[in-house]
Amino acid sequence: MTSVRPVVAGRTDRARHQRPALPGAAARRGRGARRSERLAPYVLLAPAVLVIVLLRLWPLLLGVNFSFTGDGDRDGTMVGLDNYRELLADPLFRGALRNVGLLVLLLPVAVAIPGLLATFIYLRVPGHRFYRSVYFFPAVLSPVIVGAIFNLLLAFDGPLNTVLGGVGIGPTDWLGDPDVAMFVVVGVHIWATFGMALVVFLAGFATLDASLLDAARVDGASLPQTIRHVIVPSLSRTIQFVFVTTMIGMLTSMFGLLYVMTSGGPEGSTYLPEYYIWIQQGQMNRPALASAASTVLFVVMLVVGLLQISLLRRGVREA
Amino acid sequence: MTSRVRPGRWLLAVPMSLLALATIYPLVFTANVAMKTRREYILDRFSLADALRWENVATAWNSVGMARYLANSVGTVTAAVVLLLLFGSMAGFALSQLRFRGSSALFLGCLAALFVPFQVIMVPLNRIMADAGLVDTYPGLVLAYVAQFLPFTIFLMTSYYRTIPTEIVDAARIDGNSVYGVYRRIMLPLGAPALLSVGILDALFCWNDVLIALLLMPSTEHRTLMVGVTSLRGQYSADIPTFASGVLIAAIPVLVIYLFLQRQIADGVAAGSTKG
Repeated sequence: MTSVRPVVAGRTDRARHQRPALPGAAARRGRGARRSERLAPYVLLAPAVLVIVLLRLWPLLLGVNFSFTGDGDRDGTMVGLDNYRELLADPLFRGALRNVGLLVLLLPVAVAIPGLLATFIYLRVPGHRFYRSVYFFPAVLSPVIVGAIFNLLLAFDGPLNTVLGGVGIGPTDWLGDPDVAMFVVVGVHIWATFGMALVVFLAGFATLDASLLDAARVDGASLPQTIRHVIVPSLSRTIQFVFVTTMIGMLTSMFGLLYVMTSGGPEGSTYLPEYYIWIQQGQMNRPALASAASTVLFVVMLVVGLLQISLLRRGVREA
Repeated sequence: MTSRVRPGRWLLAVPMSLLALATIYPLVFTANVAMKTRREYILDRFSLADALRWENVATAWNSVGMARYLANSVGTVTAAVVLLLLFGSMAGFALSQLRFRGSSALFLGCLAALFVPFQVIMVPLNRIMADAGLVDTYPGLVLAYVAQFLPFTIFLMTSYYRTIPTEIVDAARIDGNSVYGVYRRIMLPLGAPALLSVGILDALFCWNDVLIALLLMPSTEHRTLMVGVTSLRGQYSADIPTFASGVLIAAIPVLVIYLFLQRQIADGVAAGSTKG
């Protein structure tokens, strides 16, 4: 394994270098280029570029700019860093950032579970096809449905507490206890999404050189040894990819769960930046403050993503 | 396929089966509760419903206006997926098979958009939509979905079209096809497997979305099915079986699609992670 390149950029680079000379160019030169033909690529790209620029990239710039303006009476006037100061002073937002820290700490768990399961499935545990389709199913359910189902299961008078009561454990207020609720929501999120990461891992395994595994078996390596010395190094790129996408997923796709399961409560203990943005923009009518929170979320995502990539690279080099 | 593990693998089957149970059970439990009477549920949460009772489902279906929400979801998702596949395949074809100035910059621009989550642009996008008079309209929601999932669609279509040998396009050009003719007669049919995978994934993403629909469709009659599910809780907090029925109704379409097309869904996810 030589140097590991960033997942996306590395691949597009290579793909571009390998691309053979493109058609049309030669034929066009031979026949005298017609204008409509020369413009064709731009015409084909026009709708996509328009939509992406107008509704994705432009709003990003607009939002950053917006975060330095005021709300309400001061709408449209530049207020410098006031919004950011207010954010950092807001216990709700601080709690949201603390929860992001918690997510980062739980990230290895969210990656290890699908990684291990994919390993077992790849090693052909009996019934592996069945396991794969069962594990993948929750990943296609809407977070709203998942949240509603777990609202039922985790209710104070619900089935989980009934079962625990049966073995003598007192009831826990899973979604009503500020010390517990965030862990519960993250747990449900992992339950609902590990199937996606599992499929990604299996796709990575498909590129693995099987002779390495055979060699490890001939040498009498145990399963943990095989995982540590053969599978992890060979799948380093997949592991990186799963780390980054799982983190992005945790930071940007838990809204449905939070909205349905806890609405940010109890006592604001389950706020994440995305939920904070939603509340400030919709309920509190503070769009500029919400934009500042958006900008912070974007920066957090970039920093965490880049940190992960550099850490994981170093880890791979040392392994 | 021969097995690659020693007999000890049967031991692994135990935790894996338990986990499979933990994955399936919540849904089975919900379906079971949906079939119970309220009295039955209060007396015993776990007993099997003594009959398949559909009246809760009927109640949930009729009372919340679910039919309307379902129609909203089906309409917006269908329109969004058609546009996504059309724009995505046009762009993917151009970026993978044609040479023109600025192609790599445009490709990188599309990729960059992948890393801009909706939450980050939510506030300004809402404002842009409001200025354009598109808030609380179907075209507005469809456009927002197209904008949200187009970068991903372009990325997958581009990497798929890169695997198609350029000689095919060359031959078609020599036969006198214009670039557009090549797209219509060759690239669209050849792209079918990728279009199917990407289309299903896009449909799932749009179908499952709640944040975008919540933001851009404030009025009750414009709710999508998933937003409708979020309103069940308040309505049936005391009537758990009917609540469970509503959840079940919302889950069934995805369950059916999954049973028939999980291969394509998994292929799409895998392609998104290994290609590029």
